[in-house]
Amino acid sequence: MLKYLSTPYRAISNRQLSNPWIGWAFFVALLIALPLIIVFSNIFMDGGTTWQHILKNLLPGYAINTLILMAGVALLTFIIGVSTAWFTSTYHFPGSRFFTWALILPIALPAYISGFTWAGILDYASPVYVFFRNYLGVDMGQFLFFNILSIPGAIIILSLSLYPYVYLITRAWFSRQSSNLFEVAASLGKKPGAIFFGVALPMARPAIVAGISLALMEVLNDYGLARHFGVDTFTTGIFTAWFSFSHPQSGLKLSAYLMIFVLALILMERFQRRQMRYDMVGNHYRPLEKKKLKGFMAAMAFTASVIPFLLGFLIPVIMLVYWSIKTAPQVVDYRFWELLGNSFMLAGLASLIVLGVALFIAFTVRSFPSPFVRILSRIATLGYALPGAVVAIGILVPFLWLDAYLLQWSGTGMRLALTGTWLALLYAYLVRFMAVGYNSVDSGMERISKSLDEASRSLGHSNMTTLFKINIPLLSGAMVSAALLVFIDVLKELPLTLILRPFNFDTLAIRAFEFASDERVAEAAPAALIIIITGMLPVLLLHKILGKDNK
Amino acid sequence: MSILELKNTGKKFAGSQEWAVKGFDLTIEKGEIVGLLGESGCGKTTLLRMIAGFETPTQGTILINGQVVAGQGVFIEPQNRLVGIVFQDYALFPHKTVWENITFGLFKLTRHQASVKARGILELTGLQGLEERYPHQLSGGQKQRVALARAMAPEPNIILFDEPFSNIDSMRKHQMRDHIQNIIQETGATAVFVTHDTKDVMAMADKVSVIRKGKALQTDTPPNLYNFPANTYVADFFGKTNLIKAKVSEQGLETPLGIMQSNQNLPASMGEVLLSIRPEEFKISEHEPNCFCGNIVKERFLGEYKELTCKIETNTGDDTEIVIYAAPHIDCSSQKCYFRPNQDKINIINRD
Repeated sequence: MLKYLSTPYRAISNRQLSNPWIGWAFFVALLIALPLIIVFSNIFMDGGTTWQHILKNLLPGYAINTLILMAGVALLTFIIGVSTAWFTSTYHFPGSRFFTWALILPIALPAYISGFTWAGILDYASPVYVFFRNYLGVDMGQFLFFNILSIPGAIIILSLSLYPYVYLITRAWFSRQSSNLFEVAASLGKKPGAIFFGVALPMARPAIVAGISLALMEVLNDYGLARHFGVDTFTTGIFTAWFSFSHPQSGLKLSAYLMIFVLALILMERFQRRQMRYDMVGNHYRPLEKKKLKGFMAAMAFTASVIPFLLGFLIPVIMLVYWSIKTAPQVVDYRFWELLGNSFMLAGLASLIVLGVALFIAFTVRSFPSPFVRILSRIATLGYALPGAVVAIGILVPFLWLDAYLLQWSGTGMRLALTGTWLALLYAYLVRFMAVGYNSVDSGMERISKSLDEASRSLGHSNMTTLFKINIPLLSGAMVSAALLVFIDVLKELPLTLILRPFNFDTLAIRAFEFASDERVAEAAPAALIIIITGMLPVLLLHKILGKDNK
Repeated sequence: MSILELKNTGKKFAGSQEWAVKGFDLTIEKGEIVGLLGESGCGKTTLLRMIAGFETPTQGTILINGQVVAGQGVFIEPQNRLVGIVFQDYALFPHKTVWENITFGLFKLTRHQASVKARGILELTGLQGLEERYPHQLSGGQKQRVALARAMAPEPNIILFDEPFSNIDSMRKHQMRDHIQNIIQETGATAVFVTHDTKDVMAMADKVSVIRKGKALQTDTPPNLYNFPANTYVADFFGKTNLIKAKVSEQGLETPLGIMQSNQNLPASMGEVLLSIRPEEFKISEHEPNCFCGNIVKERFLGEYKELTCKIETNTGDDTEIVIYAAPHIDCSSQKCYFRPNQDKINIINRD
């Protein structure tokens, strides 16, 4: 008996270790975790005098500003996201069908682009100002209560481009609710307002918090807007440490502190989700029947929806189009096309790499679903929570070591630098955007019955041929959407690319940001517009899918 | 040499306290059709998956054609076992035609050999003319035949069926059973199928293993399982039965109803036993010697037979009920029923 028991256990553990799929997945997970490990291990090291200076004089300010930004964005995205989600999912009002998808569009506008566009619009010399002054004889400045280049300004702009996270998740949650639930509340004599605050809102809490957490992660990730608006946050602090003080050690330490924010955010989100687990009203599910709003309520719903759409999307885009038309003849030269080529090439390569690795990891989890392998997949997708600057610093530091080592090894004559190459940049994108690709691929794979894989295996095919002959052909849709999402994320990525890009290498996002930093907002418009149009693709595709579901 | 041998095979899933399968022994000879019968969650599908190579046994050994495929430190991957499997959901590749599905496992042959073989199997399964169709263009029965054809094409050592008839309506079930049985027997293939339906195993299997909580309760031919169940679970699983306590003595079997005679040679040393008598194993006649008499409390007409529930006063003073299947023409107007068990079919079973 004992012999029977012991032999197979040995066989299994040998299989786990020698299995090339699991072995490679382990390697990939390690590679992706490396920047994180480096950032964290640094927290205990001595930072030197530069760090002492930052710690004493700058860190408190960074922390306070970051916290204020987070609190403000949490509040504002909550108000905009939840109210629009509630109105569009439960009521008919003028334009409600249009707003259902149009309210997602601001997600295509990165906060830093929206930020410098609004700063441009509200500038004293902007065409809007000039128009009001010259044709209507009105000085718009007297109506503006505050300078947009401030913390409140940053909060508003960030919220306008991040509320779609809250809107999308909350709206999906509302639409999945059975209308019985709300009808019961109504039959108990509750007024619509009381139903919203008493039933819908508390029940949707997990969805709302999930959406706000995503928005806040983007706040921590943001560099461009904070820098443009002159708000010193952790992320801009990392840049200051690296570029102004040339002190990567301090950058690492700041990154570690920033990670604590991220971790707290993730834990809070997890915790509240575990506390609250509601059963769906199972058997008698009826989708929400939308009620028609009239009069004052309809006007209110319309206003609540049109403001975020106008401010978060339409006005900045119209402005960018106007500027693009004006500046295109000078800006769009051969350098611009080179830039476009760079950006698309980089984004294309990154999305192919992410797609390949995501496929590999997802298939390994599918074929060898042990707890160990599941943990590996979790580690491999950690990067979505890491701000781009943290990933960049976490990769930059080991690459600098490696370069120093290579220099020593190769003698003095040759310089085999890896820092500032596409290799470092692509590695960073893999770490940062792995989760985006993985989630698409994985949810696509889950829709394929596992017995298809097993049928293929029993017919004599290995795991590898099964992946190529069965899974990949059936995954084409999920693979396209995974690649597209990563492509767009890379295209608009700013902080990570700024830190790791090769010398003299520009992308559309960097060029737009640099023009805007030089107070040449109009020249930044063409590059910004290309990023926005590409970013709209998945929203429009999503709308098509949503439309199908409705029918 | 046996095609398949399971020796003390067991499986305990990680994180689970209970064994899904425990100490399972089974030997299958070439050409046999074997059923694994049990309720859902009894471990029969886990057993099937261990044979196919999708699960690793935690215990014991599995041999195919005398070669160890799992256990003793060996594990042969599913693709190298040459075991065909027909899944419950058929698992046809949706992006491949019927022809491509069937030839999917023939990649080791030349193109010509593969096409000759595929054509033969198409004919055998009656799928000619459907080669260019995609799975979504097929009916349920056609899908199952494609799944069978695909599994049989590489001439596997053994074909496994996972709940083969659960997706087919009862009207077509008989037809499908016959069809599959014919194909298997015609090719001399060896098959194992998992089911929760006793009718499936009665109709198709040469040998059946009744499984409960991961253990084989009894492995025998279907008639033996029906007539001579080893315990009450098996007895109940195969249909209605009357369970009667008895004591073996010189006079015969002393039951609460009175003395019964069995044609089996039972030594008095057996003492207390439990009898199982199927409802159809009673002769109804008042002229028989040693017959029992009861009051009919319920009479149900069921087509080929009548189900009578008779109440009988026992010698301890309590009432007990006996279920009897009687021919439909028997007159029950008297409300009295005289009956005597078939002396060949009084079965002694284990109490559990």
